[in-house]
Amino acid sequence: MNIPAELKYSKSHEWVKELEDGSVLVGITDYAQDALGDLVFITLPVVGDATTAEESFCDVESIKAVSDVICPVSGTIAEVNEGLADEPEKLNSEPYEAWIAKIENITDKGELLSADEYAAFLETCEEA
Amino acid sequence: MSELKRTILHDVHVELGATMVDFGGWDMPIQYPSGIVEEHLYTRNFCSLFDVSHMGRLVISGPDQVAFLQHVLSSNVLALDLNQAQYCIIPNETGGAVDDAYLYRFEEGNYFLVINAANIDKDLAHLEAVAKDYDVTIENISDKLAAIAVQGPKSKDLLISMLNGAQPTAEPVRNALSTQTIDGRTVRLAKTGYTGEPLGYEMYVPSEDAAYFWKRLMDLGARPAGLGARDTLRLEAGLPLYGHEMGINKYGEDTQIFAVPLAKFAVSFAPAKGDFIGRAPLEKQAAAFREIMNRDFSHIADLPYKIRPIALLERGVLRAGFPVYRNGEEVGYVTSGTMVPYFTTEGEGLDTTILDEKSRRSIGLAYLKSDLLDDDHVQIDIRGKRMDAVVVPYHMRNDAPPFARPILWRPEEEDAAAPAENYAAKAQELLAKAAENHTWRQRDCINLIPSEMTPSPAVRLLCAADPAGRYAEHKKVKAFYDSEVFYYQGTKFIDYVEQLLSAEMAKYLGCTEAETRVLSGQMSNMAVFSALMDFKNRVDRKRNPVRLGYILNNHIIRGGHLSAQPMGALHDYVAVDPVTEKPMVVNFPVCADDPYRIDVEATKTVIDQYKPELIIFGKSMVLRKEPVAEIRQFVDEQNIPTTIMYDMAHVLGLVGKHFQEPFKEGAEIVTGSTHKTFFGPQRGVIGVNWKKEDLKYGLWETIETRTFPGSVSNHHLGTLVGQLMAAYEMNCFKDEYQSAVIRNAKSFAQSLKEAGLDVAGDPSMGYTETHQVIASVGYGCGPEVAERLERNNIIVNYQATPNEEGFTASGALRMGVSEMTRFGFGPDEFRTLANLIADCVLHGKEVGEEVKALRANFTEPRYCFTDKELDGALEQLSKVLGL
Repeated sequence: MNIPAELKYSKSHEWVKELEDGSVLVGITDYAQDALGDLVFITLPVVGDATTAEESFCDVESIKAVSDVICPVSGTIAEVNEGLADEPEKLNSEPYEAWIAKIENITDKGELLSADEYAAFLETCEEA
Repeated sequence: MSELKRTILHDVHVELGATMVDFGGWDMPIQYPSGIVEEHLYTRNFCSLFDVSHMGRLVISGPDQVAFLQHVLSSNVLALDLNQAQYCIIPNETGGAVDDAYLYRFEEGNYFLVINAANIDKDLAHLEAVAKDYDVTIENISDKLAAIAVQGPKSKDLLISMLNGAQPTAEPVRNALSTQTIDGRTVRLAKTGYTGEPLGYEMYVPSEDAAYFWKRLMDLGARPAGLGARDTLRLEAGLPLYGHEMGINKYGEDTQIFAVPLAKFAVSFAPAKGDFIGRAPLEKQAAAFREIMNRDFSHIADLPYKIRPIALLERGVLRAGFPVYRNGEEVGYVTSGTMVPYFTTEGEGLDTTILDEKSRRSIGLAYLKSDLLDDDHVQIDIRGKRMDAVVVPYHMRNDAPPFARPILWRPEEEDAAAPAENYAAKAQELLAKAAENHTWRQRDCINLIPSEMTPSPAVRLLCAADPAGRYAEHKKVKAFYDSEVFYYQGTKFIDYVEQLLSAEMAKYLGCTEAETRVLSGQMSNMAVFSALMDFKNRVDRKRNPVRLGYILNNHIIRGGHLSAQPMGALHDYVAVDPVTEKPMVVNFPVCADDPYRIDVEATKTVIDQYKPELIIFGKSMVLRKEPVAEIRQFVDEQNIPTTIMYDMAHVLGLVGKHFQEPFKEGAEIVTGSTHKTFFGPQRGVIGVNWKKEDLKYGLWETIETRTFPGSVSNHHLGTLVGQLMAAYEMNCFKDEYQSAVIRNAKSFAQSLKEAGLDVAGDPSMGYTETHQVIASVGYGCGPEVAERLERNNIIVNYQATPNEEGFTASGALRMGVSEMTRFGFGPDEFRTLANLIADCVLHGKEVGEEVKALRANFTEPRYCFTDKELDGALEQLSKVLGL
């Protein structure tokens, strides 16, 4: 399981990349894409909408089911990765390149884990 | 929670890294590490394996087995021949489904029924309750037999390689079954499946052999696919799943059987089924269904909803349960829906190429109000958003094997306003293109289409002369001692021509009478079938005419004429057997070691069993003589009343001592087309060999009246005059022409074989006894190879052999030597040609210029009269016509 050291993680399996200007990129982790299976559709968030940490902000669909993606931070959607609408399979093939949204005006970062902490958390997930 | 059940292949799935889920109480693989998308696409592109051993497998035996199954299933069990399977539904008393099932007949003495895994207990309880009134045994053999579905375009190749070259089933048709031995193990094979693949099999093997065969198939290149892909594949194919498209629906009602599109095939009301479970409500549904199909919705309450395929037109994914609206009114809901992947294509028709590039589309099945039509737009509520979708006739087609082809809905394109037309320019372009085509076909190409011929210059000139464009309806009148009475003036010349032509054709065929007004071989057959039916009903015309009973013919897949099939000219003349509910047609059995040859002894058994009213010899893929004399002798000895007809369309020009003399051998009727091996323009002919005193002379007179006024009014007088010249040419030159054709065909076959091609037929008789030569070029490669040869100026037919699924899967070339023989080709030229074909087909060489050069010395037809022999009469007519 790939867990890049420079990223932060949520317990709902999203990753967060902190950018220099204070905004963040958000995507789903390798573990998440593997568990969800082949992703065939994404309903992207809308630019300008507010997000709330630990609440759903978009959904991804596999062949079998729809799953909510939880926003790890509170803020405003600054940009979305339009390319994923045509190629949702990138969420499977390169989960850490396939950012879903750029979020700015961050007011709350919820509970974010470091790479090591997330790795340890995944082990408890496996056991459960 | 009770322990999940496991199939015999459970450990294999776990070892392959499958994600296992609870499916109806079974621990089953939903997908393997490759994922559902790859598994789906690999099935469509190559071949996948599915463990379907969780499904229930029952054996029904005992004295009352047929009566029991007729009562408890929706289908007509008596329509099921040995080694055939049928889809059926287990109906309940109210016209809903207890389950859907597949019934197999692998052996005499019992039936094999496969039911859904989740319904095993329910189905068994139902079947056993009904069985109390019957002397039958229901044995659940699910544990003893494993089931593996092998699906996809390569499935047949893989099985053939496991069978050391043998065919998986006797005929390459859906629902065919066989019992075979592979590697010393018994395997039951069914050409069935749940993926919509045109090539797909289900194999039933003893449980202990399941892992062996799974591995064997994987070693050959098949990959495992889980229930996830099985679901997307069946959805794309539009196949129903119990619990979604059948059973209790979202509205809490039991879905009616006729709501399911397959019900049309699965439900029979044959008298032989008696009062089966659910019959009365199903008849009511069927009546409403028939009206709805005619867009009469007056009894829509009897069948308010139907399952229809729908396609989402906006971005999103259809999911089971989503409500469907039409103009704001809820008209149903999605029963199954997802996003399915497909390979994109480029090109059109036979040139369609399947690309590596993938795409995906959101499709579903929906339970919709029965008055919705194809192409109607509906709105789907997707989590609060209304999205546009469309009702489509299907999501995929499997009628161009070996691939299943996704069908994407496209809006009708509006015609752009037509620009002002310059008709003189159009006319000029047409003339130029016609000249170009004529030059190409007559000067540059070598034509090997066995059903084509270039008529002589004299025939062509006569075809253009008056009376082309005239009418000459005529009929025998008894009051004038059967004199022909013409309905139009100016027809004395054509009267003269027709009388001479009938006499020439009767002389050529060796019979007493010939009808020459028919315009094609197909029309010849239709006139004969119509006459046979009319003759059968002649003594009582106050009732609906009775159609023809059993007819013995050559199966289309073994080269039989389309014009002698129920889908062709027999369509309106052959009865349906009330027991089997199929057209009353049986086929000549063929020899196991030579599918091009009729098995005479087996044919005798078939004749004895069916007592056919009509026996039709003749084929369009023909390498052998037909055993007319043997069958004539048999029916005479056995006193079987029948009529023996020989459709000689392809071999009409070969009638004689070098091939066959049909009337001498005992045929009563010969039909044919006059432009294949014969020298004529494109017309038909019917010959019969009855004399005035014979009972069947009345049938001849009926053939005449079913020709005119039955089939033609204007019988194309121009080509009729040309035909007389062709008949003169044939009667004059037939001995040398026919012997040259047969010699050339054998020599061409031998040369092709020596050049490395796979030539069909028996080498001991020179591969062929006709003008035809058949060469295999690889399964499904026929169309591509034929196209390549055309680019190289060689014109052939691609053709499906008896083991292939149809024209798109065809792997053979059908070639005829008659036209090039007429242009003067001999064994040397055919040897050169065989080498050029081998260079092009086997070695990928461009040979177009060499072909052109070979053709250049052979552009004038032989076996006809030169203008010199005719004292310049040809030149004179040409001047008169101004041509």
